[in-house]
Amino acid sequence: MNTIKKIWRFISSMGFAIALLVVLAAACSVGSLVTQGQSYAWYAQRYSERTAALILALGLDDAFHSGWFIAITAFLCLNLLLCNVVRLPQLIRRTRAAGRPEGALRLSGDVRAEGIANPQALFERLRMPKPAACAAEDGSAALFASRNRAGLWGAWVCHLGILLLILGFGLGQMTQRQYTAYGVPGDLRPIGDTGYVVSIDDFNVGLREDDTVEQYTADITVYDMNADGAPSQSATISVNNPATLFGMKFYQNSTGWAAKVTVLKDGEPLQEAVVCAGDYLAVADKPELVVYLNAFYPDYVLVPGVGPSTATGQLNNPAYLYSVYFQGQLLGMNALMQDEELTIDEYTVTFSEPQSYTLIQIKADRFTWLALIGGLVTLLGLVLAFYVQPERAWAIQGPDGLWTVCAQSRKGGPIFKDRFDRAVSALNDRPNP
Amino acid sequence: MLQVENTLFTIVMLIYFAAMILYFTFIAVKRDAIAKIAVCLQGAGLALHTAALVCRGIGAGRLPLTNQYEFATAFAWGLCLVSLIFVVRFKFPVLGAFSAPVTFLVIGYAAMQSKEVRELMPALRSGWLGFHVSTAIIAYGAFGVSFVLSIIFLLRDRMKAQGFLDQHIPNREKLDVISYRSVSLGLLFLTFTIITGAIWAERAWGSYWSWDPKETWSLVTWIVYAIYLHLRIRRGWQGRAAAIFAVAGFVCVMFTYIGVNTFLPGVHSYA
Repeated sequence: MNTIKKIWRFISSMGFAIALLVVLAAACSVGSLVTQGQSYAWYAQRYSERTAALILALGLDDAFHSGWFIAITAFLCLNLLLCNVVRLPQLIRRTRAAGRPEGALRLSGDVRAEGIANPQALFERLRMPKPAACAAEDGSAALFASRNRAGLWGAWVCHLGILLLILGFGLGQMTQRQYTAYGVPGDLRPIGDTGYVVSIDDFNVGLREDDTVEQYTADITVYDMNADGAPSQSATISVNNPATLFGMKFYQNSTGWAAKVTVLKDGEPLQEAVVCAGDYLAVADKPELVVYLNAFYPDYVLVPGVGPSTATGQLNNPAYLYSVYFQGQLLGMNALMQDEELTIDEYTVTFSEPQSYTLIQIKADRFTWLALIGGLVTLLGLVLAFYVQPERAWAIQGPDGLWTVCAQSRKGGPIFKDRFDRAVSALNDRPNP
Repeated sequence: MLQVENTLFTIVMLIYFAAMILYFTFIAVKRDAIAKIAVCLQGAGLALHTAALVCRGIGAGRLPLTNQYEFATAFAWGLCLVSLIFVVRFKFPVLGAFSAPVTFLVIGYAAMQSKEVRELMPALRSGWLGFHVSTAIIAYGAFGVSFVLSIIFLLRDRMKAQGFLDQHIPNREKLDVISYRSVSLGLLFLTFTIITGAIWAERAWGSYWSWDPKETWSLVTWIVYAIYLHLRIRRGWQGRAAAIFAVAGFVCVMFTYIGVNTFLPGVHSYA
């Protein structure tokens, strides 16, 4: 039993919390310093084989999703939860006690002023509410006022907020579904295995006079193929302006170039398709022959030492960087200008009609609201902890009719004492000693 | 308007430099009147700095908070503002003598950055930009002041008792409370920064938290200051240990601001 108590105390202790925070800060630092999501070969080339093996063994290649990182976070949650559970009854008692004169009505307190003729005026200067009349422990007449008791709850509310935030984030990570769809206007793309499809109705890249991009805007329609009649919902999305359709959020994520690829066989049309840069087209009657569109340059220039590049964003000198594979083997790679043809045996390939394609990110996270509430509660907790200072003041009348005013501030310390002294000085209309 | 901003910026740099020299002179010649002039000069510098930022905003046609130069000059503004508030509020001109060089260094860093006004990329064209970056400026400014206060706290023990500085620097208890006030202001605004940033990221990138280096280091900074707050109330760790963590916190702030942009590219690389 004693051991369980000791473990309970240790896990809910502030010392354990500090240790966890130190470890968590160190873990986050390491996670940000080691490039995430790379392969053994990449790390071996960047560092050394030994370091690469160590990175993979410790899970530093995916630090923020590793077991040890989740364990640290879980322990922190447990610590916060137990800390709040342990402190709750104590906090309720303290809050009640702070509003009652019992226990305060004697000549104690952090600060004290004697010989006060008008204690109400001093209470007012201390920004206290109107004091209630009561009796001191020795039966003398007394006044009592308290304010900002909510400030006692600051740390507790802050801990609760962090717990909700981590809970919302964790649940979101575990249950969220994410998909991407890309294409040019007219394309219809399935959204993963959801049974929904997204139609890209239109896509525009708004350019300024200096060729810089002002905004990317896509008109989309989503169809529910699971339901009879495939009901649809439409929206216009742009960067910073996502839309929610059928419970999923659609983001205008990024863009790139696409081109129409035409394949002729012995001079006769065989195939035509729009291919996005980074994507490929397998020849219809010879699928082991693949044409890959590596990149597109709207205003092609060959920069010495750099390679293919684009001078502007305008379609002044379009060029297509392609590569051709046969049975997975690279046959060749080159840049093809707008009207040039690529001949591979009996096949002739041309690229034309360059256009922008859109990449749409689709996400369904049912717990974002919980994380947001957690964040706002944390903020509220910090405001309570830092700017709502619990204070109380009381006055006891002496036999000479003058009052002794005492006051306490939980967090004010010497600054509260300065404020109290200034208030007393101003009341007595004499300089602060 | 940008030409006016450029001229004002140069004048502000000179004023901050002059204020710094006056603060040093105040400590050297031990005359309170010089400190008052330094405080007034710092206030005048802050007013002109505000005007420079307004001119930049008008000239650029947007909030001037989107690149390294704009953030650095705004950071210096925040640092100057918070330090001036603390100097006046707590009648503590020695703080000015320690914070003025930091302000001058930050505005000097701004002077080394490109002042070119560029159009905003689509992700930055959001109403959240103003909330996110302006709260970061106040947070960084407050952390800068807490850093200076912690340095003073750590140096205080080595100062000669009854000396000029000893009389002009609050006792350890008060210094600790002032530093706590500064950290609490910074932490509150850093929390605002992280939350507004998360809301904005959710709208712009589809993810409110993606462990981008800037996000991660903001969290590390937040954690370090959370440790500071816990240490302050833990018996046996108050004072010196807490002050060391406040200094470490500001090192994290500077790494988040400059180090991340230099060494750890991510989605915040433009910042």
